[in-house]
Amino acid sequence: MNKCKLLMASLVIFLTGCNLRVLDPKSETARDQSFLIQFSFALMMIVFAIVIILFVWFLSKYRENDQNKDYIPADEKGSPWLEITWTVIPFILLAILAVPTVSITFEQSAQTESTPTDAVLIEVTGQQFSWTFSYQNGVETVNDLRLPVDRPVEFTLRSDDIIHSFWIPKLGGKKDLIPGETRRMIVTPEETGTYQGKCAEFCGREHTKMRFTTTVMEESEYEQWLEDMKEKIE
Amino acid sequence: MTFELFNRTFFIATDVLFAYIVLIGTGLGVLYLVNRANKWSVIKDYVTTTHHRKIGVLYLLSATLFFLRAGIEALIIRMQLSVPENDFWVFQGDKFNEAFTTHGTIMIFFVAMPLLIGLMNVAVPLQIGAQDMAFPYMNAISFWLFLAGAILVNMSFFMTASPNAGWTAYAPLSTAEFTPEAGNDYYIFGLQVSGVGTILAAINMIVTIVRHRAPGMKMTRMPLFAWSTLVTAFLILIAFPVLTIALYILMFDRLFGTSFFSGESGSPIYWQHLFWIFGHPEVYIIIIPAFGIFSDVISTFSKKRVFGYTSMVVAIVIIGLLGFMVWVHHMFTVGLGPVVNTVFAITTMLIAVPTGIKIFNWLFTMRKGVIRLGTPMLFAAGFIPTFVIGGVTGVMLAVAAADFQFHDTYFVVAHFHYTMVGGTVLGAFAGIYYWFPKMFGFKLKDGLGKAHFWLFLIGFHITFFPQHFAGLNGMPRRVYTYTAEDNIFIFNFISTIGAFMMGIGTLFFVLNIYKSFKDPDKCGNDPWDGRTLEWSVPSPAPEHPFDPMPQVNTVDPLWEAKRNRGGKLPVANTSRSAPIDVTSWQPVSFYGVIMLFSLSFIYHVTWLQIVSGVMVLAFFALRTLTDEHTRLAKEGENHDNV
Repeated sequence: MNKCKLLMASLVIFLTGCNLRVLDPKSETARDQSFLIQFSFALMMIVFAIVIILFVWFLSKYRENDQNKDYIPADEKGSPWLEITWTVIPFILLAILAVPTVSITFEQSAQTESTPTDAVLIEVTGQQFSWTFSYQNGVETVNDLRLPVDRPVEFTLRSDDIIHSFWIPKLGGKKDLIPGETRRMIVTPEETGTYQGKCAEFCGREHTKMRFTTTVMEESEYEQWLEDMKEKIE
Repeated sequence: MTFELFNRTFFIATDVLFAYIVLIGTGLGVLYLVNRANKWSVIKDYVTTTHHRKIGVLYLLSATLFFLRAGIEALIIRMQLSVPENDFWVFQGDKFNEAFTTHGTIMIFFVAMPLLIGLMNVAVPLQIGAQDMAFPYMNAISFWLFLAGAILVNMSFFMTASPNAGWTAYAPLSTAEFTPEAGNDYYIFGLQVSGVGTILAAINMIVTIVRHRAPGMKMTRMPLFAWSTLVTAFLILIAFPVLTIALYILMFDRLFGTSFFSGESGSPIYWQHLFWIFGHPEVYIIIIPAFGIFSDVISTFSKKRVFGYTSMVVAIVIIGLLGFMVWVHHMFTVGLGPVVNTVFAITTMLIAVPTGIKIFNWLFTMRKGVIRLGTPMLFAAGFIPTFVIGGVTGVMLAVAAADFQFHDTYFVVAHFHYTMVGGTVLGAFAGIYYWFPKMFGFKLKDGLGKAHFWLFLIGFHITFFPQHFAGLNGMPRRVYTYTAEDNIFIFNFISTIGAFMMGIGTLFFVLNIYKSFKDPDKCGNDPWDGRTLEWSVPSPAPEHPFDPMPQVNTVDPLWEAKRNRGGKLPVANTSRSAPIDVTSWQPVSFYGVIMLFSLSFIYHVTWLQIVSGVMVLAFFALRTLTDEHTRLAKEGENHDNV
């Protein structure tokens, strides 16, 4: 019974998960990922529910008591039909899950995707233990990322020392920064606001402190900010 | 803290100082107790033994000690993370990183592995009707190599040089450029030495199972724990050499200036591939034996044979095979491209099918049975819902694009603790409660066992369930603190409470062992109304237990004999002679030499490397010249001549 309550409570937390950053997407990328998380969760809950129902049922019905304690159960080797059932049904569930998995993963893992025409290009460099962002007009910021709303952003990811991982939970999943290699990531923020960004790959002593803030602003505000920053360095 | 000695100032971290005091204190206490009870002969007996049951007990005992150590680290981690921006003792920055690195390394390699290998040693020969393991001397060597590796990793803390690059030791962080201290050398040599022991143990298991089964014990009549041991042994034989190679290369990068994992021609991604080609089969190496234990326990405590025996065997073989085809799901965010990511997403999902088959077969084993909820069965029953939660999140993680979000967050931490604690640790506890009578002749107390179970299981769910939400709210793994704005305080706080509950549960386990030895309930050879051969021999299992050798005609031969033959097993006409069981100081001496050898490399003492290297080679010569066969043949004793 306690298990059931726990399950219900967790389900409620899960469904009202709008407060959880990963389930509160602010870009198409993150929305697709959030959809996959909730879709796979729903499918898996079917399996989980069946197992729990059978588990509770069998355990309560066949538990040893005063009547049956000397009873020797009939020998039963198995049942091909039942065994085929629980082989085939998981296959079907997984096939259903595989379709959106393959299509979204394929789309989001693409390396060759061409740069969108109106994209903002930002170079991201990770180093122990901070982030450097370089904008097209030569402006550089540390741990402070500014993006315009509703325009695709192409991040070029590089590492100065060891492996880091670039992650803004509300804008999309992470991508590793590998020393000596270049990775790309394209997202389009759809709402203004301030979002957390983090290094997700353990990178040494102050990995915990390797965080940045992402501020998504209106296009005009963004241009103004770039201008101001440019003037500051000149 | 710093202190003055001989006009020089020394620095020692307070946690290390405290650990020294505790270690020396308990060490002296144990010595005193052993001396007072005059148990030196028992210790000598165990240290020089090559008998499978005693070696199994040694594995289990050391695994329990390391479980307590790594468990304390878990509590330290939870203390530091209990509230935002916490400063608990010294555990921030490197100290915290060291704590989670050794927690993971010790729990996987020096707790999960020896718990299972120990149970295999105790139970498998008895289950299949073997007089001992095929190579008793090598069995002892396996144990002492394992212990040497375990002590190396454990002592690093006392030498204030704990490994600090995570249990995965990702390059280039683990190379000398970024972590020049001795810590990761301890990691390399510790795993390398114990890994050799594990490979030898796997060879021993395979030969024992293939060559030493009782007459009539066909492969298709073996208990499922023996089957899972066989499959696991093959997985070890394939996967561990990959770890050996990876560590070897890393050792060259660290000690001898090569650059496999950095620079122009090297790449840090090679380490990830090598590590996970080993690492993913490794998680099946530690879960498949637990599956075997659950099959035996659930069948015994439901008074029914296991449902769908053939599909159970096929399922573990398929899990073993698929286990080698999924390693990239640890690397979805590396950017290996769309084809690689989708292929590995699909293979990973496929593992859910054979695992599901096993879950349903266990459920249907219980159906129409008579389920006795003794302590071993409680652990088996607690395993089913717990492991299914871990399996469900496993399928969610297999969805590669969703994993871009999950990867390296507390969601993953929650997932693998659900599978490894929910599967391996509950399995090992079930196995220990189940086979304890076979090791010592008496049961562990049922009441304390139940307290242990409920505290541990409820504590477990309280600890790890909220971590799913912490992960979804953006908490990365391996961080030592978080801010109030992160909105993950409540999840972490609940988690810390649960961890202490698990700790109390574990204390009940230790208390149970103590009480059971103090006041043993002798329970005879067959306390659980068993089904398989190990319950037909005396408890504790003697040397050469099968006399006369039983003839096996069915699955669950003892059960069949109890139903139809008044409990008497049919006697076989022929039987294999027993492997040679000796007592020898050689294995434990080898342990000393290999420790010396490893330490001389960790601290770069060239002359000692040469001396101890020669001593290691000398041991091979010594063993080659030790000939028990001729001696026994002269004495006219019947012995196995493999």
